[in-house]
Amino acid sequence: MSNEHTVKSYEEELRYLIDSVIKMGSLTESQLVDSMDAVIKVDKDSIDKIIKSDDEINKFRSKIDTQIMTLLVKRAPMAIDLRETISSLKISQDLERIGDLSKSNAKKVKPLPLDLPEELLGNLKRLGDLVIKQLNDVLDSYVNKNYDKAKEVWEKDEQVDDLTYIAMESVIDFLSKDKKNLDFSTHLIFATKNLERAGDHITNIAESICYLIKGEYLKGSRPKGKVIQQ
Amino acid sequence: MELMNNVKIKSKNLNVYYGEKQALFDVNLDLNEKEVTALIGPSGCGKSTFIRCINRMNDVIDICKVSGNIEIDGVEINDKNLDVVSLRERVGMVFQKPNPFPKSIYDNISYGPKIHGKGETKSELDEIVENSLKKAALWEEVKDRLDEPGTGLSGGQQQRLCIARAISVNPEVILMDEPCSALDPIATAKIEELIDELKKTYTIVIVTHSMAQAVRVSQKTGFFHLGKLIEVGKTEKIFKNPDNKMTQDYITGRFG
Repeated sequence: MSNEHTVKSYEEELRYLIDSVIKMGSLTESQLVDSMDAVIKVDKDSIDKIIKSDDEINKFRSKIDTQIMTLLVKRAPMAIDLRETISSLKISQDLERIGDLSKSNAKKVKPLPLDLPEELLGNLKRLGDLVIKQLNDVLDSYVNKNYDKAKEVWEKDEQVDDLTYIAMESVIDFLSKDKKNLDFSTHLIFATKNLERAGDHITNIAESICYLIKGEYLKGSRPKGKVIQQ
Repeated sequence: MELMNNVKIKSKNLNVYYGEKQALFDVNLDLNEKEVTALIGPSGCGKSTFIRCINRMNDVIDICKVSGNIEIDGVEINDKNLDVVSLRERVGMVFQKPNPFPKSIYDNISYGPKIHGKGETKSELDEIVENSLKKAALWEEVKDRLDEPGTGLSGGQQQRLCIARAISVNPEVILMDEPCSALDPIATAKIEELIDELKKTYTIVIVTHSMAQAVRVSQKTGFFHLGKLIEVGKTEKIFKNPDNKMTQDYITGRFG
């Protein structure tokens, strides 16, 4: 942002809102990392902790909503402040959804056998790592108001789509080898799909950041990978 | 491409001086027909000086000098031979503080048409008074007390009376210099509703210190600072995503 507001409390309220979004983002990122870890290591002990951390994220969402309502009522923000306020609302919604998806993935750990084959988890891990990197980058671009970086994240979702496709294929291959694998394979398919959807929310966040910075929506539709095209 | 209304008023390299002090610097601004243009900016930025050029109100200030052009419908109005009275018939004005004449409501409205030679008979004048008050959304409130003094009305009603008075001579342009700053929110809402209605017939230029009002009533907004027109554009664009940093600083309250 440019100069400071003449009214100091307005400046503080906006700063506080942005800080809340940043904190919510970092909680969401930790939760995503933990849930990915739980899936890959089939760590059933960490499930409860991950589910609980989702409550924290939801609390942030309510807090941010209240902050936004107060800002709108008290300050009637304009231009960059208006875009900052509205973007916070949208970004916090997407973060909350990512939190829900991480929680959902943590729950899927329960029925998984402890001896999942390496080739099955390898592709899922690659996808998870990419989604985590995307979230990290998009939050970074929010903190530093970096348009190019946000746009890069938006474009890179294509890779998330492609890795989703590959991860899905390896689960289906595994499933087709033995029908006994059906139960937990279904959970893995859902977990893979959840990561792809988390990726979509990350691109939404990237779009919100681009709008926040330049006041224009990204033109054209984002590049789409195989999973979307099929 | 979006359709834009025709340009009604065009200022070209407009400079205004009060004695040694220059109040406007090379202002180039187009105002569209049947549209509301809001002029915003801190006190002393030249926005009122600008609208006072449109009906040559600055003529009454001895030390004021105007150079450059202002055209209405392509005709230069700074021409010394131009009949200022007929210009002011075409360009009405409403001020910050309602200023009805110390006369009856009826006389407040009929005075203008009379001196401009409109409405020769009583019934013609009656019609003008009724139509003007109706257009100013005041008729229902005053129709039974037209002979009462205009100064006895509430502030909001007085302002609508002044708008009715401006309308009575059938102008093309209405200039409004902070028309709501002395009014409560309900009276303000009535004036804003009225502006919405009036823009179907008239070209309106409004000077306001309220950003929210500029957003609500105008289609185009110009931001002035220290006598210069810093930025002009569609109102939505100006308040969502202005191009100029100074505009952004002003509308977001980061000025000075």
